[in-house]
Amino acid sequence: MSLTTNKNFAPDQKGQGWKIFKSPKLEPFLYLSPSIILICLVIFVPLVIGISYAFQSISLFRPSDTGWIGFEHFEDIYQDRKFYKSLRNTFWWTFTSVILQFSLGLGLAMLLKAGFKGQKFFQALIFLPWAVPTFLSALTWAWLFNPVIGPLSHWMFALGILDEPYNILADPSIAMYGPIAANVWFGIPFFAITLLAALQSIPDEMYEAAAIDGASKWQVFSKITLPFLAPMIVITVMLRTVWIANFADFIYVMTSGGPANSTQILSTYIFLTAFKKLDFGYASAVSVVLLVLLLIFATLLLKMRQKFVRVN
Amino acid sequence: MSNIELREISKSYGDVEVMNDINLEIQDGEFIVLVGPSGCGKSTLLRMIAGLEPITAGDLLFDDELVNELAPRDRDIAMVFQSYALYPHMDVARNMGFSLEIRGEKAQIIDQRTQKSADTLGLKGLLDRLPKALSGGQRQRVAMGRAIARDPKAFLFDEPLSNLDAALRVEMRLEIAKLHQRLGATMIYVTHDQVEALTLADRIVVLNEGKIQQIGRPLELYQSPANLFVANFIGSPTMNIFDVKQVGAELQLVNGALIGMSGGGAAVSFGIRPEHIAIVAQDKGHVVGTAEVVERLGSDSNIYTQVEGLGQVLIRHHGNTELNIGDKFGLEFNVSAAHLFDSDGIRLTLDK
Ligand SMILES: Nc1ncnc2c1ncn2[C@@H]1O[C@H](COP(=O)(O)OP(=O)(O)O)[C@@H](O)[C@H]1O
Ligand SMILES: [Mg+2]
Repeated sequence: MSLTTNKNFAPDQKGQGWKIFKSPKLEPFLYLSPSIILICLVIFVPLVIGISYAFQSISLFRPSDTGWIGFEHFEDIYQDRKFYKSLRNTFWWTFTSVILQFSLGLGLAMLLKAGFKGQKFFQALIFLPWAVPTFLSALTWAWLFNPVIGPLSHWMFALGILDEPYNILADPSIAMYGPIAANVWFGIPFFAITLLAALQSIPDEMYEAAAIDGASKWQVFSKITLPFLAPMIVITVMLRTVWIANFADFIYVMTSGGPANSTQILSTYIFLTAFKKLDFGYASAVSVVLLVLLLIFATLLLKMRQKFVRVN
Repeated sequence: MSNIELREISKSYGDVEVMNDINLEIQDGEFIVLVGPSGCGKSTLLRMIAGLEPITAGDLLFDDELVNELAPRDRDIAMVFQSYALYPHMDVARNMGFSLEIRGEKAQIIDQRTQKSADTLGLKGLLDRLPKALSGGQRQRVAMGRAIARDPKAFLFDEPLSNLDAALRVEMRLEIAKLHQRLGATMIYVTHDQVEALTLADRIVVLNEGKIQQIGRPLELYQSPANLFVANFIGSPTMNIFDVKQVGAELQLVNGALIGMSGGGAAVSFGIRPEHIAIVAQDKGHVVGTAEVVERLGSDSNIYTQVEGLGQVLIRHHGNTELNIGDKFGLEFNVSAAHLFDSDGIRLTLDK
């Protein structure tokens, strides 16, 4: 028999029922439970329901066929040529947009860091693309490419890029550049602002030490600036990639995936399948594939990030 | 190795002039210490020599060659920053070999050189650590190692020891002195700590408010300070300064006591170091004082004394003292070691 009483494990006076909630493993989760429950309701429940659609036949044109069908949708996807075309386009659309947004955004961030006359004004101006509703931006860009009312095709003709001033959105071989241009314009500010913040957090002394050590401009950039930016670059590129891969607004408004599916990406394909063909089951199945691809991508990138956490 | 010359250098930020008419010639292999209170422009001057700060006016010459417009990388100087400025994403070895890496040296040579400077600074075994896994003292050593690994024309130090604790500071001070003896390189060292200045320097440059107050050997500054500022700044504890006026052939303190020397008519201040005041019987000295605070440091004692009509006087007594608070005694000034200053604060040279 022990004479010492451990307070934590003393029998609860209000009854045995409470004891389980006092266990040190469970207790913290109880305090968190309001937010956990909320997150489950808002995120996980819809997610699970959405995923469950992928295994059901839910088409408004075939209301009698509704029911569980197992992996049938995925077998269809496996043979769907439009799906593969959209998948290729998704890669093309996403990586071209991200690479251009990133490199131009980084360039702009370096310009802003260096400072120039009228910088404050310019810095405020940079946010403008975000203030405009995306549908409006998309329409504006579509008009800009239209040779009847917009100047872009005439300029490209004058520069010798086009043989004659026609609408590139109507040419299957180059239509994708239209939404990509709009998307780059729209996405540069994000990279410029986040990378500028990261640039400004690099101590001036690093640059001074590098100057004394004899580094050229390029060496300073590659051996000091980039390593310092690396963690930020990885995280922003990941966020943007996932976001752009899912971003259907520009393409939907500018080309609706056409002509001849030349600008169809998975997210527009999903959108059109769900809301034009009203086949929610198949749309959900394609969404699940996209989700898995993006999860794989994010995991890879986060693994890479661990290599960069050395800085900071 | 090189000699460095500053001719009438001045520096302004916009309309604000922070350095004015700096003239200084530094010999090859010399250890120069720039000393002065915080904000006097020491770092600015050092950074102008390094090329990190543009020079507003004047000439900077390395080996008689004008280098005003030369980028830091073309000046071939090494600098140790106050905060060390180690690259956080590189291990110790790469930090030290970075300037060699930049110049495209062979990996083998870089390795050899970093090993060698790591050996001299006792950094062996730390070479593959990142800076964040080092103590302050070790970081300081890496910063020094980075400088010596590249064998530059000159070394610049900006308060390199100010972030270390007292014991480490003494140790590193000694190492820097040894380093200078071994390398024989030109070194310019900035500090606000006069002990570092006095112990390390071949010559000290005392700066105040962007102007050079005096250039001289450590003992020169102590024995014959050019003006009141230097007299006050160099020497610890600081010199006692009293107002005086000429009465007949002798100078008189404000409490009426005569001090037995003449100021030639121009003297308005009388300076006497604490160690040049002797404690004597009440009826013997120049003035009479009462001990207020007695600090016993073992090797010396500081006696803060209240003298009527004169204020507080500090006396440094070699060895221990029998005096207690409240004791009255006579103070005798060693007049031959005293200094007189005119109304502009300039020290008067008297023929004694
Ligand atoms: N970038 C700057 N712009 C304006 N004034 C400056 C700048 N850098 C330094 N100063 C001024 O120059 C003077 C000298 O500074 P500094 O050389 O850092 O002093 P120290 O190193 O002797 O403490 C200070 O009065 C400081 O306020
Ligand atoms: Mg300073």
